[in-house]
Amino acid sequence: MSGGRLSRWFDRKGWTALLIGAPYLWLVLFFLLPFLIVVAMSVATKTPTAPPFSFGGEHPVVNLDAYGRVLTDGLYLRAFLTSITNALVAMILCLLIGYPMALGLTRVSKGWRNILLMLVILPFWTSFLLRVYAWMGMMGRNSWFNGLLTDSWNFLVPLDWAVRSVPMMHTNFAVVLVMVYTYLPFMILPLYASLERLDPVLDEAAMDLGSRPWQVFRDVTLPQSIPGIVAGGMLVFIPAAGELVIPSLVGNASSPMIGRLISDEFSSARDWPMASAVAVVLLVLMVVPTMLYSHFQAKSEGSK
Amino acid sequence: MVSAEEPFLRIEGVSKSFGTFQAVKDVTLTVGKGEIFSLLGGSGCGKTTLLRMLAGFEEPTAGRIFLDGRDLAGVPPWDRPIHMMFQSYAIFPHMTVEANVAYGLKHEHGMDKAARAERVAAMLDLVQLTDFAKRKSHQISGGQRQRVALARALARQPKLLLLDEPLAALDKKLREHTQFELMSIQQRTGVTFIVVTHDQEEAMTLSDRIAVMDRGEVKQVGSPTDIYEYPVSRFVAGFIGSVNAFEATVLGHDGPHLRLEVPALGGAVLARDPLGVVVGQKIGLAVRPEKIRISKDRPEGVNVVAGQVKDLAYFGKDSLYRIAMPGGALVQAHAVNSSRGDEGVGVADWDDAVWLSFDPSAAIVLVD
Repeated sequence: MSGGRLSRWFDRKGWTALLIGAPYLWLVLFFLLPFLIVVAMSVATKTPTAPPFSFGGEHPVVNLDAYGRVLTDGLYLRAFLTSITNALVAMILCLLIGYPMALGLTRVSKGWRNILLMLVILPFWTSFLLRVYAWMGMMGRNSWFNGLLTDSWNFLVPLDWAVRSVPMMHTNFAVVLVMVYTYLPFMILPLYASLERLDPVLDEAAMDLGSRPWQVFRDVTLPQSIPGIVAGGMLVFIPAAGELVIPSLVGNASSPMIGRLISDEFSSARDWPMASAVAVVLLVLMVVPTMLYSHFQAKSEGSK
Repeated sequence: MVSAEEPFLRIEGVSKSFGTFQAVKDVTLTVGKGEIFSLLGGSGCGKTTLLRMLAGFEEPTAGRIFLDGRDLAGVPPWDRPIHMMFQSYAIFPHMTVEANVAYGLKHEHGMDKAARAERVAAMLDLVQLTDFAKRKSHQISGGQRQRVALARALARQPKLLLLDEPLAALDKKLREHTQFELMSIQQRTGVTFIVVTHDQEEAMTLSDRIAVMDRGEVKQVGSPTDIYEYPVSRFVAGFIGSVNAFEATVLGHDGPHLRLEVPALGGAVLARDPLGVVVGQKIGLAVRPEKIRISKDRPEGVNVVAGQVKDLAYFGKDSLYRIAMPGGALVQAHAVNSSRGDEGVGVADWDDAVWLSFDPSAAIVLVD
């Protein structure tokens, strides 16, 4: 009896609901709910209590001071600007380096392709922190890498411009360099996935109709890989804009990136409402273009 | 066909090897202007490789190709006045039908915008796709895609159009219709067509001339009638249509005919004399099933053999008989069911003793 009831309970519709429901439940529990808590915190008032904020009582229920500061205080605006600029530069560099690599992956033999794909993923097998520390060592004043760059710089430029070493550590250059290094696979893999799907016969057709190889790339390959470019771009840009570890370790402390600011507000300044407000603004900045893109993507898919 | 002046397309001793594999072996062919010429053969016979060498995607290992007097060696695909209709049609999925057809025209630098638009409109009209100009390839049917590919390849008015299995991707009904459409478009545009196909019926109906290929070699070149009625080798006779093939020995010349000893048919047979065979030579004898007559009573004349109906397949308008010879060999014979007598429609029934006969002119001697 109960077995029958159980199997009725596990009917196909029930399973479908479960399969669809589980990811949603996950998102609600671990994304939406925490996000709502952050939103609530962002409109609270900072107090010297534990936890260091409160609603109501002698304070207003909705306190928008933090948002006011985000929009008016130059420190936050500069941090957003630095983050977005660094992330954009890193994204563009990743695209410029990753596109030829992804295209190359689709053109080599199957055996080579697997080896090269593994090499793209291989860095993930070592600790991310370890790799950043390795870069710190390389960029430092006394490293062989810096020495090499210094020597070639001094060799190429007039004597007046000669330097003792190339200042790399604690600059935005260092941040972008390490971010490009870290996020490159996130650009290559979606690009490769979209380029690999293209039919090589289309290249031949374009060539047959009079296009030289570069024209074939411009007219046939590039337009068809736009979804891969957008996916790779977002996978690099979004985490890079909110990046905390890389700018903390190799970045310039006097022009912090936004992730650094959120962390500082949270821990050293113990201003949770402020940290939350900055986090909410960052999320909105990242989510709006993504949503716009998927909206237009859905529209063009719908017209297909 | 052969003239003293330079032919439109001349393929001269062309070979192509991939590593140790020789895909095309010493092919020499000429194609006249305005012809529909087919390369016919099974998979791996080298026909597609030959086509790709014409398009410029592969360079011959040896030999040369001349088009309209110009040596094509080293000329890249984008500089050849030769366009191709790909087997998969290769329609650019991110462009509309119109943009696909216009694609090659942007390399026509002497052409202004209005002239280009006019040409595209004319091409779309030619293939009856004017109403579909703004659609993308996933919004049109397979047959329409084939026509887009054709319009796109013809838009730049190539000297030579290469068609790689042009009808293979279409279903049977559409294929017949499209075949005639292709022929009519070829007549209207006057462009020389080279068609690669594995389908002998398609080659027979489409082509002015056919080159039958096998294992990289051209086995025979000729009109569809030549190839069907006068095959020169066992391979060609067997590849085009069905055939009864027997081993035979030349006994001697008999007026305009050749007298052969054919053990499978139980005796001597008269056949068409291909000239150049000697007495005692071992050759092949081929007779098409539709050239064999079946009768209950012994007919007058030569080449008459007795047999027994082992099997028969009734197709309505005609029937196919399998007849056992005294020696055990089975002979196929096709008979049109022209009468509708009271004793059944066919000429003969299972296990009936019958007489088979065929004209000496229908008996083909195959030396190769």
